[in-house]
Amino acid sequence: MTDKKIKFSELDNLIVEILKKDGRATNQRIASSLDISTSLVASRIRRMEQNGLMRLVTVADFSAFDYNVLLPVGVDVKGKPANEVANDIAALDEVASVQLVTGKHDIEILVTLPNLAAMGDFMLNKLSKIDGVLSLDPAFAVDIIKYEFDVAPV
Amino acid sequence: MGQKIDDLDRNIIKLLSGNARLSNRKIAAQLGFTEGTIRERVKRLEKDNFIRFTAVTSMEHQPRTQLAYIGVYAEQKKIQAVASEIANIPDIGAVIILLGRFDIMAIGLFDGLENFQKVVNQSILSIDGVRRIETSAVSEIIKYDNKVAKIITPLEDFTLEYR
Repeated sequence: MTDKKIKFSELDNLIVEILKKDGRATNQRIASSLDISTSLVASRIRRMEQNGLMRLVTVADFSAFDYNVLLPVGVDVKGKPANEVANDIAALDEVASVQLVTGKHDIEILVTLPNLAAMGDFMLNKLSKIDGVLSLDPAFAVDIIKYEFDVAPV
Repeated sequence: MGQKIDDLDRNIIKLLSGNARLSNRKIAAQLGFTEGTIRERVKRLEKDNFIRFTAVTSMEHQPRTQLAYIGVYAEQKKIQAVASEIANIPDIGAVIILLGRFDIMAIGLFDGLENFQKVVNQSILSIDGVRRIETSAVSEIIKYDNKVAKIITPLEDFTLEYR
């Protein structure tokens, strides 16, 4: 599926530039603004999507899913490989992202919850109960200054 | 923001999330509403910063592939100023002011670890008000939901001019 050897061509980049601003731009519109044929636009987009270079998505704000509390949590692991623990954590719906990291902690996660009342139950009864989780270092996001979402695992 | 969304909005978002180009007509047919209703809803969801239609490009195909976290401890009175300065650094994709752990969390995509250290040492440690930083580099991404985010940029700055 995802082939790392396949790269964006110059034309791909021009098409992507338009689609990043408007993921619903029609092939016809892209074609006329780049002065190329509609079928060429369609085939470049298909190639990029099929090779895992790009996806045309609708990104929703956290609040659209009623995720009003965001908690970046550092997780320390003991007695079990970090990647196994990370996979168990990733299975929880409330967890938006899970990454293995090198540094103070073993795993870095982002927890999304509807409200503060949901926090105790999630942290104590779900996250803490996962086998291999030694300790949690949570924080509250009080203000998001920048959040780019156009480059991500596809 | 401040606006509320209902079940129809949520169902529209669900259908669109995997395919930004799904037509209003198809959404209307699937949800049992008129195309006009769907068009209005989509327009409002965009205007109220609930959704953005975009092309997400693969992280692994970028020239910069090292994802890393920077935890910043700042002088209390300068936290916001420091956060805005960090947000101006092109390699940094996310800047969040926190309570607990540290004062600011910055996440960036860098051209290798060496370059990451360079940005930290030259661009972040030199910002007035930064006391101390803690870094960690991502070795593997286990989960990443690319369809949910914080939408900050207003629509008029995001969308192409022809719209």
